[in-house]
Amino acid sequence: MTNKMKFLLASCSTVALAAAASADTVRIGITQNNVGIDSYQTTYEQAFIAAAEANPDVEVIVLDAGGDVARQISQVQDLIQQNVDAIIIWPTDGQALVPAVRNAHREGIPVVVTNSNIAEAGMEFIAAFSGPNNIQQGIYSAEMMCEALGGEGQIVQVTGMPGYTTAIERQKGFDDRLAEMCPGVTQLDIQPGDWNRERAQRTMETFLTRFDRIDGVYSGDDNMGVGALNAALAAGRAEGMVFIGATNFAVGYDAMARGEYWGSVYQSPVDDARAALQTALDVLAGEDVPKLNYFDTPKITQENMDQFDRPVF
Amino acid sequence: MAYFYQNPVLRWLLRNPIWGFVLIVFIFFSLSSEHFFAARNLQNILVQTSTIGLIALGMTLVMINGNIDLSVGATLALAAAFAVDVQSWAMFATWGNWQILPAVCLALLVGIFMGAINGFIVWKTGVDAFIVTLGAMLGIRGLVFVYTGEQSFYAMNFAYSDFSALSFGPLPVLAVIFLLCVLIVHWLLSRTVHGRNTYAVGGNREAAVNAGIRVGPHMMINFMIIGFLAALSGVLLSTQMGAATPNLGRDYELWVITAVVLGGTKLTGGKGDIIGTLGGVLAIGILRNGMNLMQVPAFYVYVILGSILIAVLFLDKRFNTSTDGGLRL
Amino acid sequence: MLLTRLKAGGPAIAKQGILVAFVVFMIAFSLMSDRFLSADNIMSVFRQSAIIGVMALGVTIVVIGGNLDLSVGSMLSFATVLVVDLHDKIGPELAIPVMVLATLCLGAINGFLIGILRLNSLIVTLGMLSVIQGLVLIYSGGQNVDIADQRGTWFAMFGRGAVFGIATPIIIFGTLAVVFHVIMTTMPFGRHVHAVGGNPTASVFSGIPRSRVVFMTYLISALCVAVAAIILGSRVMGSQNNVGQGYELQVLAAVILGGTSLLGGSGSILRTVLGVLMLAFIQNGLILMGQPYYTQWLVTWAVIIIAVWLDVAAKRGRLFSPIA
Repeated sequence: MTNKMKFLLASCSTVALAAAASADTVRIGITQNNVGIDSYQTTYEQAFIAAAEANPDVEVIVLDAGGDVARQISQVQDLIQQNVDAIIIWPTDGQALVPAVRNAHREGIPVVVTNSNIAEAGMEFIAAFSGPNNIQQGIYSAEMMCEALGGEGQIVQVTGMPGYTTAIERQKGFDDRLAEMCPGVTQLDIQPGDWNRERAQRTMETFLTRFDRIDGVYSGDDNMGVGALNAALAAGRAEGMVFIGATNFAVGYDAMARGEYWGSVYQSPVDDARAALQTALDVLAGEDVPKLNYFDTPKITQENMDQFDRPVF
Repeated sequence: MAYFYQNPVLRWLLRNPIWGFVLIVFIFFSLSSEHFFAARNLQNILVQTSTIGLIALGMTLVMINGNIDLSVGATLALAAAFAVDVQSWAMFATWGNWQILPAVCLALLVGIFMGAINGFIVWKTGVDAFIVTLGAMLGIRGLVFVYTGEQSFYAMNFAYSDFSALSFGPLPVLAVIFLLCVLIVHWLLSRTVHGRNTYAVGGNREAAVNAGIRVGPHMMINFMIIGFLAALSGVLLSTQMGAATPNLGRDYELWVITAVVLGGTKLTGGKGDIIGTLGGVLAIGILRNGMNLMQVPAFYVYVILGSILIAVLFLDKRFNTSTDGGLRL
Repeated sequence: MLLTRLKAGGPAIAKQGILVAFVVFMIAFSLMSDRFLSADNIMSVFRQSAIIGVMALGVTIVVIGGNLDLSVGSMLSFATVLVVDLHDKIGPELAIPVMVLATLCLGAINGFLIGILRLNSLIVTLGMLSVIQGLVLIYSGGQNVDIADQRGTWFAMFGRGAVFGIATPIIIFGTLAVVFHVIMTTMPFGRHVHAVGGNPTASVFSGIPRSRVVFMTYLISALCVAVAAIILGSRVMGSQNNVGQGYELQVLAAVILGGTSLLGGSGSILRTVLGVLMLAFIQNGLILMGQPYYTQWLVTWAVIIIAVWLDVAAKRGRLFSPIA
């Protein structure tokens, strides 16, 4: 409570300073995880810039850490140095950004964390988190898997890049929920696909030689999920195999329309980016913003997919 | 023209063209970004440079030897993981802030040990250092993943991450450590027997052997030095993060080599110095920082940095062949 | 024992360290997993290794010529993104030649800087690695590219098709390996590459056009990357911008494992094929045994050093290096 008060005071004073310095525009700096590694992050960046341009009172500084924690920390330093009004961070690593966020907090610059949350130790230093709930997404995927298999079967899992927060959280949500809800479903093995479709395809090919019976495949995102699907199709074993993903990509959406892909979790980078900017603006306006702002990421399956637009990425 | 060659400043710049480049980009960014030329920013640049810079000091020695070390990024990650993890070992639980000490010592020892392994293999097997350390780059990264179980470690003790916020007067402590290391390695290379041997071994190995230098152990010592510096860099980086991540230091070997080559050290060995290397790392640090401040889109940063590397290599070649008269690889 | 044999000039087997290691690994893995030697698995490993394999052929020739090529990874990203993106825009029959030409241009830049201007190949290709990665991102705007009609296009045959039951990637890899082996062992060009890599100064005196030979090796390397990109693009039917990231090191590891010397002048295409297969089988074998995937890096570390060591030892006739 006191923290929140302190923080509100801090943000109010920053707003006051900014207002005094340059009319009514606020300067917001963002450092992103790794633009260009996949379409989600690229679309996010474009949507963020578009949203900022639509608002004449906002000036944004857009930086990209290229997936390197150390570079992201330097970028936070650079943003503090430029005395921006707020910093938005898409952490390359939830743990390692804590001291950098703490520094910004000390300087009275509010930090909004976007997409992938910061570690528990850093929660007191951030103004708010805005993004999807990756653990919840893992839970959704586990529930869909359980439902599709009727509570019985053998599955394999293709995870994202080892060591990355989103990958870890989705796997945790999935593993825990699956064990709890569906003890009849066994996981044969878990191997990484590095957020890379070709690698996921190779991983799945090896699974297919190793195991005679695979009833379902869970992939950390649809990009990898489609790679796994490709492998199963090529081996002539896709029939009856349940493919569940996360972060619905256009290729996953199309495969779902063809009836080859069972379901995924719908997550829009445009919503993600807009929510981040809006959260930062709310914080700067002195509104009482909750710490955790999850935007909705519903289940999407072959049955309900007509309620969703085809993803743009 | 005569004046041009007599003026000591110009002559020095001619021998160290990278410092001319540093000066140009420094002036360029000072004029084009209002935030660049500020005490805080210059401090930032020094801190940001120290990570790559420390490793580059060791790489200079190794490359003057005619070797190379591609495993430094992985060594950095392994040392960072040790530095953060050992603090939370039960046996040091009662040590309070002193638990940091054994952790850091162990991390540095791990770095020296990894360097020793590389050096020993190069010495005993006679396999090219490029191959030995390419293998080690994969293998040590594998060790990092085995050790960390793919997770990030974080320091419970905030004193650890507060260390990086300390400063001596205007200089942040990380910058002070980096500059101290620059001075020590510069002294080692230019004023000691070991330094002279480093050039001798890289310049003409046969002559060095004839002169009684024990080439194998000598190279191993340089590998241990770079292992130590990579580990130190990892420890300092982990203090900035209060954590260690298994993917830390990916591709750093490429940036380190780039910086050292920009600084005028030759891959074929026998040539190079610390002043040049310092210029090389500052050039990269200033470019990165300045491009951040000017918001150059990330996609273009790749193109710009790559082109500069090739351009400097080209100019260096033109320039050096015309003044020395000799051909160099 | 081994030491004395090596000193005696060594029997032929000691000189084939990689072959021995390969056989040992195959036996060990087949004892530990009954799936390992199944026809399905072997075909699948062959198919998976085709992309790295085709690239390794080109890099072997560059390395025999005394140079390195670290830019092949980003070049693969470039070529794959280009061919997949153009597939839907101008059709595969035009997309393939346009992509091949563009990739050859990149190879020509490498060749010009290294062959003609005689700049250091490690640094030039390191710079190009970064430049090309930037170009890919600028071209695609950072978006993934996909082929819409994955079933109908004949482009699918390169990565997914099969002839007489053998997957096309394997056929492409095998054919190229044989062609390059013949070129390198019987044609004047092959002799020239060996000469340029072995002793650049002497080669100039014996009238070999050194600049042109080095230039050509980079064109060949780029051509191999273009072929690999066709297989990759067709196999995945889409591409990320960083799809080739890190390939340069895997390719180089395979080439080194095949016994090609980084000093230039010696190496063999067929042994590179062996190196490629060995790395692929190690990866596959460890996963079949249920090991976490990074254990393969630890094993690769040991295998590379031991294989190259035995190779070097066989050449100098003693196990340990003579340096004091």
